[in-house]
Amino acid sequence: MIEITGLTKSFGPNQVLRGVNLTVQTGDSMVVIGGSGSGKSVLIKHIIGLLRPDAGMVLIDGTDISTLKDKELYEIRRKFGMLFQGAALFDSMSVWENVGFALLRSGMREREAKVVAMEKLRLVGLKDVEDKMPSELSGGMRKRVGLARAIAHNPEILLYDEPTTGLDPILADSINELIIRMREKMKVTSVAITHDMHSAYRIADRIAMLFEGRIVLEGTPDEIKNTSNDLVKQFITGSAQGPIKVEGISF
Amino acid sequence: MYNFLLALGQTLIRFTKITGEIVLLLWTVLREFLLPPYEIKNTFKQAMEIGIKSVPVALVTAVFTGMVLALQTVTGFKRFGAESLVGSVVALSMTREMGPVLTGLVVAGRAGAAMAAELGTMRVTEQIDALETLAVKPVKYLVTPRFTSAIFMMPALTILSDFVGILGGYAVAVWLFGMSSVLYWRRAWDNLELSDIYNGLIKAAFFGGAVAIVSCYKGFYTEGGAEGVGKATTGAVVISFMTILISDYFLTAWLFK
Repeated sequence: MIEITGLTKSFGPNQVLRGVNLTVQTGDSMVVIGGSGSGKSVLIKHIIGLLRPDAGMVLIDGTDISTLKDKELYEIRRKFGMLFQGAALFDSMSVWENVGFALLRSGMREREAKVVAMEKLRLVGLKDVEDKMPSELSGGMRKRVGLARAIAHNPEILLYDEPTTGLDPILADSINELIIRMREKMKVTSVAITHDMHSAYRIADRIAMLFEGRIVLEGTPDEIKNTSNDLVKQFITGSAQGPIKVEGISF
Repeated sequence: MYNFLLALGQTLIRFTKITGEIVLLLWTVLREFLLPPYEIKNTFKQAMEIGIKSVPVALVTAVFTGMVLALQTVTGFKRFGAESLVGSVVALSMTREMGPVLTGLVVAGRAGAAMAAELGTMRVTEQIDALETLAVKPVKYLVTPRFTSAIFMMPALTILSDFVGILGGYAVAVWLFGMSSVLYWRRAWDNLELSDIYNGLIKAAFFGGAVAIVSCYKGFYTEGGAEGVGKATTGAVVISFMTILISDYFLTAWLFK
C-alpha cells in the first residue's frame, strides 16, 4: 500500500506540491491526472524516492521512505519498477542487456539473465529484438522494452510516467492493454500519471486529479466522469474555457 | 560600483557552491571505490576509452612538442653557443612539464568532453533516474570507474608521451641539424633524474583525477535538454583546462623544489 500524507515540495521559489494526500491500495491501479506543470512527475518521483519531500510522508507498506538512509532506500527500490516517459533505455547496451540489467547487477549469470530478459520481452509482445540497440527501435517498441526492464525483477509496484504520451492512438491503446495485462498477470499495484483521459479511463481503478499542488478530487472513473467539480469537468472535457486558466495566452 | 560588487559576490557564491559540490562528489566517489561490489569490468571499459583511445592524439601531440622544443633550442641557444644542450632541454621539458600538461589537455579535450556529454545525455533522458529505480547507485556505476581509470591511465599516457617527445627532439636535432646522436642521448640521460619522471607522473595522475571529477560533475548535474548537454560539455573542457594550467604551477612549486 502507498500512503502519501501532506507531501510538500518546492524548487527554489516555485512551490510544486502543496500538501498532497493520496492512498493507493495494494493491487489497485491509480491514475493521477493533471495539466502540464501540475507536479505529476514530481509526485511520482517522490513515490520511488528519486526526490525527497520538504515536508510530509511517503509510506510504502508502512515504511516512510522519505527518511530512509541511502542503503535502505536502494533496498526498498527493488519493490518498484518504473516506466519513464521517454523509456530512458541505456543506449550503450543492447535490448536484452537493458532488460536484464538489474539481474546482471545482482549477480545473475549472463545466460540466465538473457533467458529471463527474453521471457519478459515476450510478455510485452516483443520478439527477435533482444540483440538490437535501443536506437534501432521505434518509439512504441522502446516503451515496451522500458516496461520489460521495469518488470524484470518482478516488482510489486509499477509506476508509469506518461505511458502513452508521444504515441499514435493505436499504439497508445496497445500500451494501455499492456498495462492492464501487467496488472492481471503480475498482480502489481500501479500508479500512472497522464493527461490522456482515454488512457486514464482504460487503465484506472481510481483516478485522482492534481491541480496547483493538491489533489482536488479522487474517485472511480465513473465518479470522475459524472463529477460536478468544475475544475475536473474542464480538464476531462479538454476545454480552454473554465476555472483553469492557460498561462501566458490571451486573445 | 554596486553592480560590480553584486556581480563579484554572485560569482564568488557560485564558485564556492560548485567547489563544494565537486568535493562532495569526490567524497562519494572515493567511498564507493572502497565499498563492494567493485566495478572492475566497467573500469576496464573506461580505461580503454580514456587511455587506449587517446594514444594516437597524445602521441602526435608529444612528438611535435618534442620536435618544436628541439627546433627552438637549437636555433635559440645558438645565440650563446649552447645548442649542444638540446638533449637536456627536451628531456627535462618533456618529463617535468610538457608531457603531463599536454597529455592532460588532450585527455580533457577528448575524454573529459565525452564524459560530460555522455553523462549529460543520460541525465536529460532520465537514464540516471532509471539507474536509481533499478537500485543501482549512479555515482558508483558511472563516476567511480571514470575517475579511477583516469587516475591510472594519465600517467601511462604521459610516460609514453615523455618518451615519444624525446624521440621527436632526437629526430630534429640529429637528422635535421646533424647533431651527434651520442651527444643528444648523453645530454638527455645525464641531466635527467628519476624524480623528474615520477614527479611528472604524479602531476599526470592529479590532472587525470581532476579532469574526470570535473567532467563527470558537469555531466551528472546537467539541466535543460540538448542545449544543457552542450553547455555542460563546454564547461567541462574549460574548467578542466583551467584546473590543469593553474594547479600545474602549484604542483610544480611543491614537487620540484
